[in-house]
Order: sequence, then structure tokens, then C-alpha cells
Amino acid sequence: MAHVAVIAFFAVYPIVYGPLTGFPALDVGVGIVDPGALFDAFLPATTFLIAMLFLGLFAMSFDFVSGYTGYLSFGHAAFYGIGAYFIVLVANGKVPGLPDSTPFMVTMLLGALLAVVFALAIGAVSFRLSGVYFAMLTLGFAQVLYQLVRNWDYVGSNPQQGPNLAGPTPEVGVPYVDSLSVALGRLAGDSFENVLGTGIDVSATMTSYYAIGIIVVLSYFAMQRIIHSPFGRVMIAIRENEERARAVGYNVFWYKMAAFAMSAFFAAIAGALFAAYRSSAAPDTTFYFLVTADALIVTIIGGIGTLAGPLFGAFAFEWLEDVLSSQQGGLAPYLRGGLPESVLNADVAGVTFLDVINTVIDGRAPLYLGIVFVLFVLFVPNGLLGSIRDRLGGTVANRLPAHIERYRR
Amino acid sequence: MIGSFGAVGSFGTIGSFGTISSFSSLPLGTNALLVSFLTMVEVGVSPGVVGLLESSFGIGWIGTVASVAALEWLGTVAALAQIEGLDTVARILIEGLGKASIYFIIAIGLTLVFGLMGVLNFAHGAFAMVGSYVGGVLMVLLVASSAGAATRILFFVVVVAMVFALLTAVGAALEVGLVRPIYDRTPMYQILLTFGVGLILEEVARIVATARGIQPEPKWSGAQATIPSALDAPSEILLTLFGARIRGFYLFAIVAGAILAVIVWAFLTRTLYGLYIRAGSEDSEMVEALGIDVRRAFTIVFGLGTGLAAVGGVFLMWDPTAGPSVLLNLEVLLYAFVVVVIGGLGSFKGTVVAALIVGLADSLTTWLFTSGTVPFPGISEVTLFTLLVIALVIRPQGLYGVEEVGGH
Repeated sequence: MAHVAVIAFFAVYPIVYGPLTGFPALDVGVGIVDPGALFDAFLPATTFLIAMLFLGLFAMSFDFVSGYTGYLSFGHAAFYGIGAYFIVLVANGKVPGLPDSTPFMVTMLLGALLAVVFALAIGAVSFRLSGVYFAMLTLGFAQVLYQLVRNWDYVGSNPQQGPNLAGPTPEVGVPYVDSLSVALGRLAGDSFENVLGTGIDVSATMTSYYAIGIIVVLSYFAMQRIIHSPFGRVMIAIRENEERARAVGYNVFWYKMAAFAMSAFFAAIAGALFAAYRSSAAPDTTFYFLVTADALIVTIIGGIGTLAGPLFGAFAFEWLEDVLSSQQGGLAPYLRGGLPESVLNADVAGVTFLDVINTVIDGRAPLYLGIVFVLFVLFVPNGLLGSIRDRLGGTVANRLPAHIERYRR
Repeated sequence: MIGSFGAVGSFGTIGSFGTISSFSSLPLGTNALLVSFLTMVEVGVSPGVVGLLESSFGIGWIGTVASVAALEWLGTVAALAQIEGLDTVARILIEGLGKASIYFIIAIGLTLVFGLMGVLNFAHGAFAMVGSYVGGVLMVLLVASSAGAATRILFFVVVVAMVFALLTAVGAALEVGLVRPIYDRTPMYQILLTFGVGLILEEVARIVATARGIQPEPKWSGAQATIPSALDAPSEILLTLFGARIRGFYLFAIVAGAILAVIVWAFLTRTLYGLYIRAGSEDSEMVEALGIDVRRAFTIVFGLGTGLAAVGGVFLMWDPTAGPSVLLNLEVLLYAFVVVVIGGLGSFKGTVVAALIVGLADSLTTWLFTSGTVPFPGISEVTLFTLLVIALVIRPQGLYGVEEVGGH
């Protein structure tokens, strides 16, 4: 039930978002109230929700290995980067044996399998150690890959900026069947008008949102099935007490390797979606340590050790990014445009209110994310979803109906 | 890990005692002698000092990694000497030692904090970054453009002391306010917390710098300009000695690094808190059981670690390849980790040796790139992380680390 509700919310959101932000300004006598601009400033735009989808999937894959086996994979960005670069390189015809016309879905799966190969190689070395050392070792591997990719001039003329996708537009759907595929991208993507006679126009951004969303939902359920399988139980046993899991007779090394490889698979899919939507891949947005850090932040906010948690963390993350962004739809442009001159130029101790907006709000999301992150680590260590589950005493789907029942009487 | 079973716990302890004693009972083999010799040659100190260091830390065993790495490195340098001549070798050596000094200053704080408290401080790079900026602000305020070299160096020493005092206080306050409440949780949460603190510091530095009209992203050249021209230009002495053009700054860094190393070493071996720290790195539960106020020791060590990171940052302010910039946060953090992991978390001697290995490898690879021998600009970073991976795989506890620390 809870799954249906969450998916329904995210499916309906972009349809509702348009009319809400388009709400006309009202003159209520004492002044002009503009709810449309208010919604625009405080609701995350669809482009940010797309970023939420691939960040959320990446964070889920990070949580899959870090939250369930207890091994902090600090170099997880490497797999994200492999997925992203593979898409761009194949589409640009730079991978021998794969023509640039290879369907996106096929490339994505091949890239994910390549990430699995890398994960097995990295894991074979890294799982000899545990704790802090495992984290450092995976980080070391990722940084080596980052440096190699940053200086690999085969990928494009400027490897530090990364290659742009020059080949055919990536399409999500059934490979080789044109009518069952939709193109991704903000500009190059497909758009539909008056879908099924409902009067709803689906823009290119919304098409990408739904197409990526379907892959993310499928990936989520795949991971969720694995965690609820006997295999997943062993992963949790390794997290809780690895000695005992070994004593009971499980070959914990290969369980850890398999979990690591699976999480790399989904991380690469997230990277592929990112590269396909953005039509580019840069070392700093794929292989870099701070990409892993983003996954870490949303995993902690959403709840480490809960598979769906990272998605809610990513929602909070992107919401904050949108509200504090300096572009249209952010809080800073809203305040600059909405407040009267006298307030903006009010002088308090040599600093005007406009200066405060420009320095403390405009594009300052990382600062507040850092603060929120530290507060969560200190006071809400189980994250949003983890804390709710603790309070309810089980998963939301199992427990919520009984709670509602209790309040109804 | 072992402590999770009551019965197995005692076995584990016996086992670990066995390993430690077998390390120290190993005879000083040829490897060890060779490496101590190399270390001496590299630092340029008398055998007596190395002997003193070794005896005071009670470890005579030196890992094969060090000998292999040092031998290979020495081989490369010997080959270069034949091809390139003395000036190149002198340049690589002296620049490497200068870099090693700064790596040591930064990494020693990180390793002490981890050794005693088991906290891997991910905010360490941010503290160095803040130190670099605060030092830069103080230097710009203090130094007039007409000031001579002696005045500038004097002010630099004063600024180092001020930054150290300030950031030590900040670090101690952070420990009491933020880190102390979560000691009872798994180590992961301490990593997460300090990482978050680092993110916040980086953003605050960005905001303050931008508000003051300083570009946060490339280095702040205003602070770098406070370096005396004698240190910025090629050193005259080295030019006549080896015919090599080496910045005087590296000689300055070597001297300063050696002095700081002696101070830290004296603190660790000659003071009561140094004793607590060394004992705590080996077995903090035992130290606690002996009735020592570990909480206060934690606060002091975290403060000192922060202060040392900041002092390293002040040196980076004058470093021609660094300079105050928010990018220092991650760069410093990753390099310090490499040093600490290779040397062994919690070991003073390991940090010295690892800083030398990393500093020399850094200068060698930087030279390989700038001279055009290797056309790959990332060679420095890749070499360092390869060293990290090799060290972790061959000897996870580092060259001089205690096996139990960090394994959980």
C-alpha cells in the first residue's frame, strides 16, 4: 500500500505542479498576492525531481551495500561514473565492437555488467579488510579511476570537462521497437500533447521524468526482492555479526562480493540515466569523491539500512537545492523580486538585506545540507524512514493501517 | 569484532599479544637495517636520533613495503643520477623532503586522533583549509609591503603560534560539543559527523571569502604574496652547491618540519599526556581501566590534532603549488589519509616514514611530468593512491600500526 501511495504521489506531482505554479496573481485589496510565484519558489521543479531519481537510485545502490552489509563503500562513485561514461562513449562510437546505434537500454545493461566486473576486481582486494580500511581502500580505487578518466584524452578533446553525447538521443523502452520507446532529454526528448484525450500535455522534461522513473521503480523492486530473499538475510547477518554469520557456515566473503557487485550494477544504471538525461558526463559529476558524498548525505537523511529511505533523502536534497538555487524558481530571486525596495536596502550594521539574500541564500544549498546532515547524524541517526519505522514498530505498509484503525475508534 | 563474544574475547587478546610480541622479538634483519639507514640518509640526521626514535617507540620491525618502496625509489633516483646529473637528483630530493615536512605536519594530527580515539577525522582537511585562510588573513594584516625577509619570517612564526592556539581551542570545543555525544555509536557515525563538519566549514569559508571579495576557488594570491622573496626565488646556496634551481621555501619547510617533528616527538615521549596518547593508541580500554580521564585526553588530542592541521595549512599558504583555497579541504584530506594509512594509524614513527615516502614519491612523479618523461598529468595522484592500495593490501595496519586499531 505504501509503495502504491508513494509511486502515485510522484506520478501525479508534475501534472499538478504546472497548474499550481501557473496560478494567476490575485489582488486582495491591501496588496497583490501571487500564489503561483510562491509555489514556484517553494516546490521542487520537475527537472530537480529527475535529478532526485538518479541521485535516489545511486544512493539506494550505495545503501544496498553500505546499509545492509555494514561495509561503507566510499568509492561508489566509480561505478556511477562507469555507467555514465559507457553510455556516452558507446553513443559516440568510441567503444570497439559496439556501433553508435546500439539501443540505450542495451548499452545501459552492458555498462552495468562492466561495473560488476570492476566491482568484483575492487572487491576481491578490498574485502580482505573491514571497517575504516575498507572505506579507504574503495576510496583509493575510485580516486585512481577519477584521475585516469580526467586525463584520458581518448574520451574527448577536453577530458577534464568530460565528453558530450554526440550520437543518437538515448531512448528508454523496448530495444529495437520504435513505437515502444521514448527519447530522453530536456531538449531532444519526446513530448506528447493531449495524452489519451485527457487534456494533459506531457512535455519533454515530463517524458524523461516518467521514463527514468519507471527504470528507478523497477530497480528499486529488484533490490527490495534481493533484500527480502534469503540472500538479503545473510547480508543483514553480516552487518549485525559477521563472526557469527561465518560460524553458522556462510561463506561471508562471497556474499559480500555478490552484494557489492549487485550494488555496482544498480549504481551504473543510475549513472547511465544521469548521462543519458544530461547528454554528457564529466569526471567531477560522476567519478569524484563528492558524488559519493551526495549519496552518503541523502542516505543518512532518508535512513541508512532502509532501501526506500535514500529516495526520500534525495527528495529533501533536491528540494533544498531548488529552493536555494539562484535560477528561476528559487527563494533568492523570489525575495529579490517580491520584497519592496525599502526592505531590501534596509541597513543593519552595515549590511543590507539584499546582501544577506545574495550571500546566505543564493545558491548556498551545500551549507544547509551540511548542517542538516550533521543534525541528522547527531539526533536522528536512523534517518527519516528509519525513525518512522522505529516509531511504528515495523515497515510503514505493515503498521500504518493498524495505527489508523486505532485513531478511528 | 572479537570483543562481541565474551569467551572469544580473551582468546583474541592473547592472540593479539602474541602477534605484537612476535613483531618486537623479530631480529633486526638486513631489511630493517637497510631501511633505517635509508631513513637516516633521507632525513639527514645522525644514526643516534634514529636509534633514539626506534628505542623510544619500542618497535624494531620494519615492514617489507617500506624496504621495497624505498629500494625501488632509490633505484629510480640512481638511474636518474646517471642520466640527468646531480642537480636533478638534488632538486627531487630537497623538494620531496620539503613536501614530506608539510605532509608530516598535517598527517600527524590525523594519526594521533585516530590512534587514541578511533575517530577517523574527515574534517581534518577542512581544518587545514581554515588554518590556511586564517594564517593568510593575519599575514596580510601584519606584514607591510616594505617588510624584509627576517620580519616576514618572524611574523610567520607568530602567526603559526596564533593559528595553532586558535584552532586548538576550536577543535577542543567541537570535540566536546559534537563528537563526544556519539562515542558509543559505531565508528561509521564519527566518520559521518566529521565529514559533515568539513562540508560546513568549506561552505562557510566560501561564503566569508566571497563576501570579503576573495575568490574562493583558485588560490588566494594576496596571502601567497606575503612570502619573502628570498624564499620564493631559487635558493642561492643550493644553486652554488648543486647547480639546481630549487625554491628556498622547500629548505624553510624542511627546517620547520624537523623542528615541529621534534616538538611533537618530545610531547609524546616526555610528557604525561604523551604517555597517555601512546598507551591509548595501543589499548585505550586498558588505559581507561587504569583510571586515566580518557575524556579529557580525547578533548586535548582532538584539539591538538586540529591545531596541527591548521599549522600545516599555514605552511600551505606559502607553498607555491598550494595556497589558500577551499579546494584544500579535499586535497589535504586525501593526501593526509595516504600518509596515515601507509604509516599505520596512531604511529608517530610510521607517520614520519610514510610522509617521507609520500613526499619523495610526489616530487619524483611531479618531476617526471614536468620534465616531459611521462606525459600524464595525474601521475602524482595515481602513484600515491597506488601506494595506498599496495600498502593496505600487503600490510593493512600500516608500517608501524598496531593490528587491532581500526579493524572492527
